[in-house]
Amino acid sequence: MLQCIFLLSDSGEVMLEKQLTGHRVDRSICGWFWDHYLSQDDASKIPQVIASPTHYLFQVFREGITFLACTQVEMPPLMGIEFLCRVADVLTDYLGGLNEDLVKDNFVIVYELLDEMIDNGFPLTTEPNILREMITPPNLVNKVLGVVTGNSTNMSNTLPGATASCVPWRTTDPKHANNEIYVDLVEEMDAIINRDGMLVKCEIYGEVQVNSQLSGFPDLTLSFANTSILNDVRFHPCVRFRPWELHQILSFVPPDGEFKLMSYRVKNLKSTPIYVKPQLTSEGGNCRISVLVGIRNDPGKTIDSLSVQFQLPSCVLSSDLTTNHGTVDILTNKICYWSIGRIPKDKAPSISGNLVLQTGLERLNVFPVFQVGFKIMGVALSGLQIDKLDVKSLPNRPYKGFRALTRAGEFEIRWAMSSEPQQQNIS
Amino acid sequence: MPRPSHPSRFPSSPSPSPSQPSGKGEVSDLKLQLRQLAGSRAPGTDDSKRDLFKKVISYMTVGIDVSSLFSEMVMCSATADIVLKKMCYLYVGNYAKVNPDLALLTINFLQKDCKDDDPMIRGLALRSLCSLRVANLVEYLVGPLGLGLKDANGYVRMVAVIGVLKLYHISASTCVDADFPTMLKHLMLNDPDSQVVANCLTALQEIWSAEATNSEEASKEREALLSKPVIYYLLNRLKEFNEWAQCTMLDMVAKYVPSDSNEIFDIMNLLEDRLQHANGAVVLGTVKVFLQLTLSMTDVHQQVYERIKAPLLTLTSSGSPEQSYAVLSHLHLLVMRAPILFASDYKHFYCQYNEPSYVKKLKLEMLTAVANASNTYEIVTELCEYAANVDIPIARESIRAVGKIALQQYDVNAIVDRLLQFLEMEKDYVTAEALVLVKDLLRKYPQWSHDCIAVVGNISSKNVQEPKAKAALIWMLGEYAQDMTDAPYVLESLVENWDEEHSSEVRLHLLTAVMKCFFRRAPEMQKTLGAALAAGLSDFHQDVHDRALFYYRLLKYDVATAERVVNPPKQAVSVFADTQSNEVKDRIFDEFNSLSVVYQKPSYMFIDKEHRGVFEFSEELGNLSIGVESADNIVAAQIVGATDNDLLLSTEEKEESTVSSSNGSAYSAPLYGGSSLASSLSQSELAVSSSITPANPSPTGLSLDDLLGLVSSPAPAPSSSPPSLKLNPKAAMDPATFQQKWRQLPISLSQEFFVNPQGLVALMTPQILLRHMQGQSIHCAASGGQAPNFKFFFFAQKAEEPSMYLVECVINSSSSKAQVKIKADDKSTAEAFLAMFQSALSTFGMP
Repeated sequence: MLQCIFLLSDSGEVMLEKQLTGHRVDRSICGWFWDHYLSQDDASKIPQVIASPTHYLFQVFREGITFLACTQVEMPPLMGIEFLCRVADVLTDYLGGLNEDLVKDNFVIVYELLDEMIDNGFPLTTEPNILREMITPPNLVNKVLGVVTGNSTNMSNTLPGATASCVPWRTTDPKHANNEIYVDLVEEMDAIINRDGMLVKCEIYGEVQVNSQLSGFPDLTLSFANTSILNDVRFHPCVRFRPWELHQILSFVPPDGEFKLMSYRVKNLKSTPIYVKPQLTSEGGNCRISVLVGIRNDPGKTIDSLSVQFQLPSCVLSSDLTTNHGTVDILTNKICYWSIGRIPKDKAPSISGNLVLQTGLERLNVFPVFQVGFKIMGVALSGLQIDKLDVKSLPNRPYKGFRALTRAGEFEIRWAMSSEPQQQNIS
Repeated sequence: MPRPSHPSRFPSSPSPSPSQPSGKGEVSDLKLQLRQLAGSRAPGTDDSKRDLFKKVISYMTVGIDVSSLFSEMVMCSATADIVLKKMCYLYVGNYAKVNPDLALLTINFLQKDCKDDDPMIRGLALRSLCSLRVANLVEYLVGPLGLGLKDANGYVRMVAVIGVLKLYHISASTCVDADFPTMLKHLMLNDPDSQVVANCLTALQEIWSAEATNSEEASKEREALLSKPVIYYLLNRLKEFNEWAQCTMLDMVAKYVPSDSNEIFDIMNLLEDRLQHANGAVVLGTVKVFLQLTLSMTDVHQQVYERIKAPLLTLTSSGSPEQSYAVLSHLHLLVMRAPILFASDYKHFYCQYNEPSYVKKLKLEMLTAVANASNTYEIVTELCEYAANVDIPIARESIRAVGKIALQQYDVNAIVDRLLQFLEMEKDYVTAEALVLVKDLLRKYPQWSHDCIAVVGNISSKNVQEPKAKAALIWMLGEYAQDMTDAPYVLESLVENWDEEHSSEVRLHLLTAVMKCFFRRAPEMQKTLGAALAAGLSDFHQDVHDRALFYYRLLKYDVATAERVVNPPKQAVSVFADTQSNEVKDRIFDEFNSLSVVYQKPSYMFIDKEHRGVFEFSEELGNLSIGVESADNIVAAQIVGATDNDLLLSTEEKEESTVSSSNGSAYSAPLYGGSSLASSLSQSELAVSSSITPANPSPTGLSLDDLLGLVSSPAPAPSSSPPSLKLNPKAAMDPATFQQKWRQLPISLSQEFFVNPQGLVALMTPQILLRHMQGQSIHCAASGGQAPNFKFFFFAQKAEEPSMYLVECVINSSSSKAQVKIKADDKSTAEAFLAMFQSALSTFGMP
């Protein structure tokens, strides 16, 4: 049972306060939270659940806004966190983004939304479709209409039928001029390459994202060519469980608009599309560094937005890095960011240079971790393939669009080839 | 995205800070404008009203007090515009509590709106009406609520059900008298709208749990909620419910006790697909049901672990990063309970560079736990990579983890090599941690001494600064003096720098090491030993001095005996003690899917009534800073607090609290009638102080007199109540036993009294109080807190009897009050002990 929700700006100012129960939560709790937050070295990494002297706090941080919820009683922690995430999502959806100004300009709508999303500390409706019917989102069309017709209320006049319908996620009867449905496979590859150059972990977390613009009450089935590779799946509430259990077919009545139909995990992949080979050689207080990047397994599509990022150890006094492709920037906190973009055909991109170590230090004794980013359009690296999508109970054949995208998630390389003699030989 | 770290002008109090507009002028301006608009029916009025309302609400949000506009806002509220209405409801809901008289003005239009044609307006009005939370307006709620529950529209019924719960918290009797709980029960079992059913469930759970303490019937009703027909009815409708209602439901199902295993399997089959729900809270709720249902079926329980593993692992790696920590905490709990089942999933616990350290810490613990013969090599390889990590605390943790795995004796050979590599990394913290580990390892596996000592011998003691590491190095120098050629000389130089060694631990170790070395290599060590003993004897630290003296006398007595005492043949240590007791772990497990898992503490340790002393205080302080709260509100809030807590207590504890509270009420009558005290104390304080056990009725009068005397005079004469009780001055109890006992025993007495000002001054250093109380044979088990709130747990034992007294004492130095709760094995002497405790506390700080 949540007792109060606060929205804080990125300077700690209370932008919004919504008391939920008879226990009034004093604003000073935000002060406590902010002090706590400022006292952390790495403030973006404070836990999502914290105990203050008076309350237990859930906090979710999005786009400069802290969503803070307080409770004094035991409750399922994920309920608090999930709810705050949902609030953030719904607000983003409604306001067409999320930032301090948007919240401040539309605070009345935010209040209205919170009013419908939670009552007396218990979450009620968080389905964007239903909310949309109760409270019309502020958009340009509405504003223009308001000016023209003189009716500027953002409330709909009817109550959503869906609150009582058996398909609560779907607007009762949406109408679209063009019937279209888009299915995207979006995958993130997490990989760890250890100090010996071995691929110790390679996993894909993927989502099936759907944008449905279909009229009426369509019934869809989506099937895949190779479901056996999936390790674990999670579904949107609209997916019927039985067909999946029996035939691995997704059968569902979609919500209107964008939603996440399914998420899945594929583990133990054997290779990565690219390689990154860092090499570090220390000698007499200097360290030669070179990093080589190239394609290992050609995915058949262009690898885009390639980048390599690593933190220079604190014992590095200065660095002098050059690259044959892309740009190198040393950001704050000694983070070195090498933006490569696309891999050129004629040469392998590399970065090289010299690091000057602290006086008294002969060789580098902390090895940086290289974090890699990339994006590959048109391919799902897990190998998951959509077989077909059938749309039932629609008079006309809708337009169906399919896309795939893979990007790097937590892709890190701890490997650093070293040409020094191994230390254990000494002992 | 990094957050800016510059200090902010954060409004920590509700009063506007100087940098904000004071709002005074603006507010009176708004007042004027609102007044002009109030009666106007000109076209466009609503638009200008809307702008004004928006301004008012935005002031309110910033923290400017706009309560003075109350009557104007109400006057303007006659409108058909629903957004205006909503803003008005919001405003009224915020300020009604502070303006109970003016709130009456709003009743009229809210009641009218409750009968509007539009169900949305009916619902909103009803919600706002119930959210006013003004005690003297409850009579106006009953009618609209009754209508709302019977409304044709589900939205209105849903609002009305929660409205009943709100009414219950404002005035329980009104709610029960209007027979609302019965109506809710009917709705719960019959309403077609799933949200109405879900809300009924939440409301009824709360109402009946709170009522159960007073009425037999309510406690039966509460049990009926967990009966087979109700649970089955709800389970069959589960999929109609929205995700949040499903969470509530699952929480309830977890408490249900099925009659046989068929039922268990039926429920699990029905719920299995919930494990694939997109909402993590639903998944976790289902996991809890599965675990709870199968607790007594060992085989199935294990299969459940296998089944829930994949969804939990997916939740940690997918979804939002915010969720993964909470899920990981739960996973951590399961891994610790059944590490074998997760042995093949160790790669999931590998730390990623970007993860926050609290996540890495959990993962390290899990990696340590799941290590077994088949995966140790990979895990240790992985852990070794973290040792070179940029994040120093994590690097340290991971070295410790390697050590722990080594002590579990899998593949020790490989691990020792790794540890020795750590020693060669030439990073001070790595060396320090590794030294401590090598020491522990040698205590368990003396057979490795040869390899280790060769490497340890190369480490210069000058490069080791941390006391723990230095002590470990010195221990090894002493223990393996015969294998390290230069041990005597290293020790010698350490003894020479005796004065520069700040840590007494290191000096103690040094004395022992010098002794051990002496027995093996006497000629080289004689001089050093003399120097060390001399330095030790003149050491200002008590223990160091005593040990030096002890060694000196031993040596003087007989060198051979001394060797037998100080350096006997060692036995390898087989098991090192575990840190968290199994009982505590089980307790946390029972609370799966709750905050306690995230904190790794059972909730009684951080949220229980008894453990909430500091908590309640600060809440009061919070209230003070808001402004004046009417007395009934405080009482109401306390009642709510109590019911909330009851939801959390396990059944035995609930029975306990039933007993103590009914005792309280039995004794409140004579207190009211018999003494003038009642009038001087507020009702709430009375409730606290009157929970006296009826075990021995005769001394009650006496204690009342005490109470009177103590409350009226802030600094009572210490001799006012001569203690008749004798206490054991050497009573002993370890914290774990204390905790257990504290949980088992009911409160015998609780009281609040003033602390004398001298005592408060002396409280600046709480240790003095502990010493003072110890002088009176009352010992401290634990203490904590910061000014103005201090919390102490004391215990004492009756002389020549095993009977114990446990005390929780919360001292608030700003209100100079002490709140004492006593639990006693022998309740009849609790009074006498309380008197003793009081007199002990009252002499505190006196010269």
